[in-house]
Amino acid sequence: MTISLHGKTAIVTGGASGIGHGIVQCFVDAGAEVFVCGRREQPDALPKHCTYSSVDVANPNTVKRFAESVVHALASNSNRTIDILVNNAGVQVEKTVVDSTDEDWEQVIGANARGVFNMCRELIPVMTDGGSIINIGSISGQVADPSMALYNASKAFVHGLTRSIAVDHGPKIRCNAICPGWIETGMLEAGFATADNPTAARQDALDRHPVRRFGKPEDIASLALWLASADSSFATGQLFTIDGGMTASSPLNPGLF
Amino acid sequence: MPLANKVALVTGGRGGIGRAIVSRFIDEGASVFAADLNEGGSLDNIGDSAGEFLSLDVTSEDSVIAALKSVESTHGKLDILVNAAGIEIEKTIEDTTLDEWNRSFAVNATGTFLTCKYALPLLRAAATEDSSASIINFGSYDGFIADPGLAAYCATKGAVHALTRAMACDHGPEGIRVNAICPGYVDTPMLQSFFNGDGSGGQGGSIESLQQAVRDVHPLRTYGTPEDIANLVNWLASDEARYASGQLWVLDGGLSAQVQQMKL
Repeated sequence: MTISLHGKTAIVTGGASGIGHGIVQCFVDAGAEVFVCGRREQPDALPKHCTYSSVDVANPNTVKRFAESVVHALASNSNRTIDILVNNAGVQVEKTVVDSTDEDWEQVIGANARGVFNMCRELIPVMTDGGSIINIGSISGQVADPSMALYNASKAFVHGLTRSIAVDHGPKIRCNAICPGWIETGMLEAGFATADNPTAARQDALDRHPVRRFGKPEDIASLALWLASADSSFATGQLFTIDGGMTASSPLNPGLF
Repeated sequence: MPLANKVALVTGGRGGIGRAIVSRFIDEGASVFAADLNEGGSLDNIGDSAGEFLSLDVTSEDSVIAALKSVESTHGKLDILVNAAGIEIEKTIEDTTLDEWNRSFAVNATGTFLTCKYALPLLRAAATEDSSASIINFGSYDGFIADPGLAAYCATKGAVHALTRAMACDHGPEGIRVNAICPGYVDTPMLQSFFNGDGSGGQGGSIESLQQAVRDVHPLRTYGTPEDIANLVNWLASDEARYASGQLWVLDGGLSAQVQQMKL
């Protein structure tokens, strides 16, 4: 049985591109009514049957207005509320602690940490009994990527908040985090481009993945779909890593030498 | 159907969780072998017995070879291997005999080793560019944190976790994904035995009050069903999970997301 979200409602933050866009497409294909938000103006590439709003998740007032407008629209049109919340919006600044500025802190912690908190605080009280929150954490919240200090720490915050929500708001709400590994987005190729030998860097990275490829937004979306569905009704408070086996192997990986 | 044309073998396929997995795989369109010590498995009072029964003692190399020979002769490949066979000795190590310790490892760890070892050629035969073969082992949340009076069991599950990562690393490039599911409390004969056993049930209260106490300590206020576990097995077996490998998937109703619940 293919998982269906027919009749379900979802909010996906950061849904205009990358992993978020993959999740929006997957949820729409599964029959859900999806409310998408992002920092930008309405993007061209969104699937039909979803509603887009421009929202800065770091701003509590903006998030409050967005949540109220979605809840009001659903209540007046169909007497429904939100079943699924995906907190995917996030930014990445590639710096060590010493190099990070106050503006970097505001930007990374604002979107990645405070943004998740803002959305959850507004929506948990109005979500359906049995609702599911899916936060996008990261393998970088478990093991450190070099020169990504604030990003790594912000994702560890997401992991801790995920467990807290599961413990405090179960059984009404389930809350889990997905920890993606290396996913093929523009950001990944840009990283290789900065290497001395981009081809060798790419091959080295592939060799460190037991499945011998990088992830795609669809790979993350299929786990988000499972976590959004009734099939995962016993899953809560967990961090589910989906990284093609990368963090299951030692970082040294002697096979490469 | 998502598992159409897939061949699956479930060890412990007549046990509490194994039966639910076999039934789910059949619903999803797979050809399923329910491998167990005997037709009734540990639930010989239950009448329904889905899947094609395959006699298997996972602790015996000869038995494992014979079972996989018969899969090879009928299908020539194996897409999905689920290692759900397991036993639980409810004792501290002081009370555990060497025979009980060895038997725990023979079923839970060596059994997983043997079925994987002899299934690998058939799993390679099934793997294609578009669809990897999938091994799903049974670890436990007890492989991360201990329940009292389950020492040997906890140790075997830790072994399964490490073996899962090692196999994912070695056989990923051959198109084989390897994951483990780590259930928390699931309503099976094994759990009922745990409630009745010396490890927890002998605290003076009734079994019913103990069961309620266990439910109350879960954020979802319930323990799991075999079907909850089968839901995740089904996902990991399917092509939807094509990028998932080398992971330990805890499914415990939120139990291990919280610290010890002190009675304050």
